[in-house]
Amino acid sequence: MKRGNSLILPAWLSRRFDAHPVRRPARLPLPVPLAGVAGLVALFVAIPVVYIFLRAAGADLDDWQRLLQARIWSLLGNTLLLVAAVTGGALVIGVSMAWLTERTDLPGRKVLRWMFAMPLAIPAYIGGIVHLALLRPRGGLLPQMLESLFGQPVLTPSPLGFLGAAFILTLFTFPYVYLLSAAAFRSQHASLEEAARTLGCKSWQAVLFVTLPALRPGLLAGALLVALDILAEYGTVALLRYETFSSAIFVQLSGRYDRSAASVLSGVLVALAMIILWTELRVQGQARFTQMDGSWRPAPLTALGRWRFPMLTLALSVVFASLLVPVGVLLAWSVVALLDPQTLQEVVRTGSRGFLSFALNSLWTSALAALVAVTLSLPVAVFSVRHPSRISRFVARFCQVGYAIPGVVIALSLVLLVNRAAPVLYGTPFVVVIAYVLRHMPQAVRASEAALNQLSPALEEAARISGRTALQAFRQVTLPLILPGLLAGGALVFLTSLKELPATLLLRPAGFDTLAVRVWVWAADGFDAQAAPAALLLVLASATPLFFLLRREQLFK
Amino acid sequence: MTRLSVTHLIKRYPQAALPAVQDVSFEVEDGEILALVGPSGCGKTTTLRLIAGLERPDAGSICLNGQEVASDTRFIPPEQRGVGMVFQDHALFPHLNAHDNIAFGLRRWRPAEARQVVDDMLKLVGLAPLARRFPHTLSGGERQRVALARALAPRPVLVLMDEPFSSLDTDLRLEMREQVRSLLKTMQASVVFVTHDQEEAMYMGDRLGVFKSGSLEQIGTPEQIYQTSATRFVAEFMGNSSFVAGEVTPAGIWTELGLLSQAVDLPAAAAVEVAVRADDIDFQPHPVGNGVIIDRSFRGMHNLYRLRLDSGLELRAFKEHTTILPVGERVHARINAGHPLCVFPDTAKG
Amino acid sequence: MLPRRLISSLFLLVSALTACAPAAPSVSNTPPAGQASIGGKLVVYSGRSEPLIRPVIDAFKAQNPRIEVLLKAGSNSELANALIEERANPQADLFITTEVFTVQSLAQQGVFKSYRPAGADRLPAGSIGPDNSWVGLSRRARVIMYNTDLVANAELPKSIFDLTDPKWKGKIAAAGSTNGSTQAQIATMRQLLGDTETEKWLRGLLANKVIFFGGHTDVRKAVGTGEFALGLVNHYYYHLQVAEGSKVGIIYPDQGEGQVGVITNATAAGVVKGAPNAEAAQALMDFLVSEQGQNLFAAQNYEYPLLPGVALRQGVQPLDAFRLAKVDVASVARETKATFDLIEKVGLP
Repeated sequence: MKRGNSLILPAWLSRRFDAHPVRRPARLPLPVPLAGVAGLVALFVAIPVVYIFLRAAGADLDDWQRLLQARIWSLLGNTLLLVAAVTGGALVIGVSMAWLTERTDLPGRKVLRWMFAMPLAIPAYIGGIVHLALLRPRGGLLPQMLESLFGQPVLTPSPLGFLGAAFILTLFTFPYVYLLSAAAFRSQHASLEEAARTLGCKSWQAVLFVTLPALRPGLLAGALLVALDILAEYGTVALLRYETFSSAIFVQLSGRYDRSAASVLSGVLVALAMIILWTELRVQGQARFTQMDGSWRPAPLTALGRWRFPMLTLALSVVFASLLVPVGVLLAWSVVALLDPQTLQEVVRTGSRGFLSFALNSLWTSALAALVAVTLSLPVAVFSVRHPSRISRFVARFCQVGYAIPGVVIALSLVLLVNRAAPVLYGTPFVVVIAYVLRHMPQAVRASEAALNQLSPALEEAARISGRTALQAFRQVTLPLILPGLLAGGALVFLTSLKELPATLLLRPAGFDTLAVRVWVWAADGFDAQAAPAALLLVLASATPLFFLLRREQLFK
Repeated sequence: MTRLSVTHLIKRYPQAALPAVQDVSFEVEDGEILALVGPSGCGKTTTLRLIAGLERPDAGSICLNGQEVASDTRFIPPEQRGVGMVFQDHALFPHLNAHDNIAFGLRRWRPAEARQVVDDMLKLVGLAPLARRFPHTLSGGERQRVALARALAPRPVLVLMDEPFSSLDTDLRLEMREQVRSLLKTMQASVVFVTHDQEEAMYMGDRLGVFKSGSLEQIGTPEQIYQTSATRFVAEFMGNSSFVAGEVTPAGIWTELGLLSQAVDLPAAAAVEVAVRADDIDFQPHPVGNGVIIDRSFRGMHNLYRLRLDSGLELRAFKEHTTILPVGERVHARINAGHPLCVFPDTAKG
Repeated sequence: MLPRRLISSLFLLVSALTACAPAAPSVSNTPPAGQASIGGKLVVYSGRSEPLIRPVIDAFKAQNPRIEVLLKAGSNSELANALIEERANPQADLFITTEVFTVQSLAQQGVFKSYRPAGADRLPAGSIGPDNSWVGLSRRARVIMYNTDLVANAELPKSIFDLTDPKWKGKIAAAGSTNGSTQAQIATMRQLLGDTETEKWLRGLLANKVIFFGGHTDVRKAVGTGEFALGLVNHYYYHLQVAEGSKVGIIYPDQGEGQVGVITNATAAGVVKGAPNAEAAQALMDFLVSEQGQNLFAAQNYEYPLLPGVALRQGVQPLDAFRLAKVDVASVARETKATFDLIEKVGLP
């Protein structure tokens, strides 16, 4: 085993940390059953997409016409505007914070690295609930503080609508870009900037014209991941009353009798996401930087000088808004909730279900989804890594399609499909698990591929020579060795499944609540304090696997 | 008894224009070490993997111990072939200690017997005290020996070694190949050994097979290969030969180094090339001469000179370590082999 | 082998969790008298949001400790969709909505079992569906609430049509198109005023930058704090906000001559045909229209109980005092698709 590969970052980026390049893969002559299984997995993953496209194509001409006349264009405009704004915002914050922690003598940069990554454990809608409660004009904590300060109401901008949604989503998606660019900054050769300096560039010019362009493929991949995330986002935009495709589909699903309009919107949304995903996969393929070799040494740190404290203030305000405020407010609310006997009773036991059961439901559905996703990803990864061919590459890429299917769309297709195809499953929590697996399969496939890529095929060959069949060799040699990588992939699926909201809301059976659903329902009914303990537990439950995932990264060693 | 026979073996890869292995045939006798040597990408490793069953041939057949393991109609998977293999990067299982690595192939043996074999192997390779150590705590040479012990422990029909010393330092490599060869000979193993280093091949192999672009150019003892190279490529690759142009005359071959009185089976006036090595050339300082010294490097036992003949041809020539001549000195060079030289028709001149 | 052990232990864990999740009701040897002997799981789909239905369910459970109530709260139409989807494979036992059009429409599609709860004879005419398919539970009025700090008495809107006046631009909050009460109001207006007038009104609201929230709780709280001046809500949201100490007022609109009157609607419930636990569903239905159940709606949530003789909560103005809009439930229910088409056409969020 070589050094641990990164999972939060795309596989290609972590591959640069390999001690030595991976040897030519083996061509063991029995990929037929394997290809069959991998193909079945791809078919399973394909179900929702194919179904949605069929439904969209089969929708009444009337539906298409009515939607084309007005809705689609305004939704498209709204969605693209938000995607562009958040992606841009995340790039600016992510890259600049990465530069500050990796390339300057900013005080406390080791701690800040963690602080910039941890917002990944906070679902954006929970951040949104907190910030909304703070910022609402007149009613929010901030305006009220201002009012008591000035003795009269102070008009503050409303966080509802586009600006608020863009602000919140930027705060909770920039860590993707931060992690990617920080890793890229770190792995860059010192000589790159030094060469630019000897050629007459000032320090800032070297960063602008040499360092950043060299990071471009990584940044583009990060930006596209953020864009896919925003396309799929439901909770935050619904909370802040900004209409995008995802929230409009949710409205169609929960507010109408007629599902063909939802299918039409979903078809357009998935097509849009597919374009972004396709670009991301292409970028991912091209983005191979130079290997980190023996001559690598870290670039020298830029002395910030008198900019030290202004920059530190900037960095701390990002941490404040994206981490300290949400966690702090949730803590405060939780204390309030636990001190108030009536609220406490609601929290501990509501309706027919207790708090413990929400937590357990969250944990077992996410854990089962992680187990299933990783298991299903194995044949796909082995097929594509050990038997590279056009077909195996296609199968592996196809399994990435979950990134392009927002939770609402998976819910729509499962609602319609499961009752017809598998009525036994209908109305059980396993439909929720299937949704998690479909949606988060790409992360599992990427993790398994990365883990396998780190392992020399000679080990499997040695096992074959020593008398093991392909399957035995996989079980006795490959599996124990890639297990840490698989666990990390599972942790990632677990983490994202815990946070999943729209599909859970739409697919959960009666009486089956998860932490995410509980937080959402309580907050929607206006019981912020009551929602806080569940939200806090959700954040903590997400932070734990995130912590271990980050520990595998070079940045956090 | 013939341990391995390979007949008309062909292997093509989908994207490649030329076959990786093209009509290769050879045999390995009991207790024999056959070294396959050639530049990288010549098909020697592919041949080894075909024998192991890690790849499937497109045509030809492979017999192990008289039993056909690969042909147009048959393909025995690697785990059923009973061969041992030492990999280029050792491929030790990182999750198993030295003992368990060696025991990995002894699954079907009775436990007590397997333990005995592993202990014997560990003693044989001198690693008995390190049996419980994991691969990442072992040195390169120790890992090498574990890999060898693992391959040998199940008493394989045939041992395959794929550039086993390439990941070691030069010093260690020389030491290891002595140890490995004597161990293989002690155990009377039949071995196919792949390397790109001709010196290593000559050291390790009882016989050598020289590969070029997927074909076997020549197979024979090291002496045969060295002294009577079958092709210009073999002469060049195996002996660092230089080639002097010549013309066949009734008296021998006329070259710019003088007349080489050696009979060849070629018509008169045919253009030929004569393969000469540094020890086949002698030269003396000479005011007129036929060339000039352009470089000298001291090699301890002798001096290696580089000469440029007036025709432009560059040659290398040994002189005893006490003879030191300045660069730029005019010299007269001639062939002084004491044995027949290899002569090849000059294809370029037709 | 580690992985196999890992997998099997995970499997065990999962099955243990799933097994214990729907904890089996504790078996008691001495069943309490009467109704209370009914047990099992009772799956309730509720269009009423959780805080508005849970007190009633808790009271019911106190009487029937052996019934485990599984609640799925959502929008009326989402749950109605599910019921239609599940006709061959029913999951729910009882459906509770916030307006009668949805239950009527579902009754037309044969989703409900006919059941006439005990005491139904005392309910006023029109509060029982055809063939006893559904039963009305409580009545609510569509009103305008306002923040008394922000709106002077003289400026108060008198009609829902005043809400399209540009002077209120950006100052109004309402519940969005997934909300049953909003949908019902639009359906009612279509019948009273026709498509064209209703569309004009909706477009007027959109042009006035009305913020449409996911639910009415957001609306009442935003009006209560003064984030918005006016809110279009059901009457009890005003009372709930007053109870939190906000300075808000209430307007029963359209009382003038020739105006449509206050739009009202009723919450309703139906027992699902093929319900796995119809017995428990019927018991809950009985409870909902019983004196105790009706009193909970009135006392806890300031609603108008349907059962005569149940007292209104202090401060709630009796409906007799107002001019009420009159609708034909059956014909509105047949127009459901047209209502949604209109909502879709104007793009109500």
